[in-house]
Amino acid sequence: MSQPTGVIHDIGYRHYDGPRLGRGAAAVALGVHSLRGAFGLGRTFKSKIMPFLLFGTMMLPAVVSITIMALLKQVPMGYTDYAVFMQPVIAIFLAAQSPVLVAPDLRHRVIPLYLSRPITIVDYIGAKLVAMIAALLILMVVPLTVQFAGELLIDLPMPLHTHEYLAALGGSLLNAVLLTAIGLTLASFTPRRGLGVASVIAFYMFTLAASAVLTGVLESEGYRDASSWSILLNPFFLVNAVQSNLFGTQPTEGLPFPSGAGPALILLAVVALAVTGLYARYRKALTA
Amino acid sequence: MTILATEALTKRYPRVTALDQLTVDVGTGVTGLVGANGAGKSTLIKILLGLVPASEGSARVLGLDPVTQGQEIRRSVGYMPEHDCLPPDQSATEFIVHMARMSGLPRIAARERAADTLRHVGLQEERYRPIGGYSTGMKQRVKLAQALVHDPKVIFLDEPTNGLDPQGRDEMLRLVHRIGTEFGISVLVCSHLLGELERICDHVIVIDAGRLLRSSAIGELTQASQVISVEVEEGLEKLAARLTETGETVVVEGRSLTVQVRADETYDLLRDAVVDLDLNLVRLEQRHARIEDVFR
Repeated sequence: MSQPTGVIHDIGYRHYDGPRLGRGAAAVALGVHSLRGAFGLGRTFKSKIMPFLLFGTMMLPAVVSITIMALLKQVPMGYTDYAVFMQPVIAIFLAAQSPVLVAPDLRHRVIPLYLSRPITIVDYIGAKLVAMIAALLILMVVPLTVQFAGELLIDLPMPLHTHEYLAALGGSLLNAVLLTAIGLTLASFTPRRGLGVASVIAFYMFTLAASAVLTGVLESEGYRDASSWSILLNPFFLVNAVQSNLFGTQPTEGLPFPSGAGPALILLAVVALAVTGLYARYRKALTA
Repeated sequence: MTILATEALTKRYPRVTALDQLTVDVGTGVTGLVGANGAGKSTLIKILLGLVPASEGSARVLGLDPVTQGQEIRRSVGYMPEHDCLPPDQSATEFIVHMARMSGLPRIAARERAADTLRHVGLQEERYRPIGGYSTGMKQRVKLAQALVHDPKVIFLDEPTNGLDPQGRDEMLRLVHRIGTEFGISVLVCSHLLGELERICDHVIVIDAGRLLRSSAIGELTQASQVISVEVEEGLEKLAARLTETGETVVVEGRSLTVQVRADETYDLLRDAVVDLDLNLVRLEQRHARIEDVFR
């Protein structure tokens, strides 16, 4: 007769004596968790719809570009203009997904649980910033890379746009950093997700309109210098200007951006201001 | 063995003094920290976790200084806050695994510990459903699980029985007691109900307005705090006299009678007295002793 094999014992409470990693590992885990969250991975089906729809939309011009290259043997769409051209999609992604990263923890008061662990508030903010930057990079770099891969495979009767592609990668990083700083900060000021979405999109619409109207007025009044600066109110044009000055690429739509380090300094100042605001927001949450 | 100790710990906010020269010493086992709302319990926990600096005085947790070694303290301490702190759209399993990883546990260990811990706090199949649909009792268990998942040496529980019905309270208290005894994790449990803590604690610290009122082993407090309140239609004096005869401590308070519980026989004596005297019993209830009762 065989012995019974599947006996269940109540072994009671067992202590954990395995490895305990430091705050670095915890911050990385939080970053990965947040990045997955930005695309709705590991969440419900509903939270995947928006990011993947927007990601699909971002891919469309690249696919069309490849088709044109293959069939008509013509120049692909400009790498360095991709973000400016697709700015509404990127802005909607930022508005829709920034609150996903920061709002639930604030709204449901999960922050104290993080703070009672080795992880610090700086680690927490850092992980969230890096996750959103990575999400935006994926959104912007994948279409560029797909298009460049297409250009490599299709034998065009012209030199490769390698420099433009690399400049656009640099521009994407600048874009991701700037948009993340603005988006997460605006979203963190309200614990309600809907309000966060609205405030980020309202901010984008405001800069879009202010940039266009102010530039139009200044130009018609003959203030060419001032108008070249007022375009930069729109964050996408600001990044495009820095990208042009930094990598020597053509400005989008031949816009007369100010040259020199000015735009880059503005970009740095905006990022610094936004991150300071974000830090102040969480300092407040810490003492409350 | 001393788990945590404070020395003349003071915390002043611009308008209030939350802690005033508090000196306590907490050993292993279950220790209750009793005080009315606003007595400084939560402030004390924040200082011990190294999240808020003290204005004066010093503290040690597991021999570490919260000001300079907050990191190491938070690695070996669990904290269950008083307020709601759970995201409703995640399942308990997902959430506890995430919190384990935030405590520095590797992925696989985090999963194992989360499953173990949820089983210990008594969450069954429902742990795969979103937390938003849980009852208050289940939410409290999840909150407790996140404090336990990294196998801390000490846990701080802030009002763990808040919002629970009597049965839920009993279960939670039993669980806290098991953590202190079977699990071998030292517990500092805050409450404003002394009657609740005396059932599970080895030691009780009472603070009021940030000052230490009393710190003593549980035996010294028990007698004073178990009280039953009796109301009868007529013949209150007769009942009081009868009970005093049998050796009970009785106080007449207006239309009701307060009886100190010496031991379990007190209940029987009281019942027999009412029956023998043929009185109409209106009300008979166990009063949850509050701090004020003990120190009156």
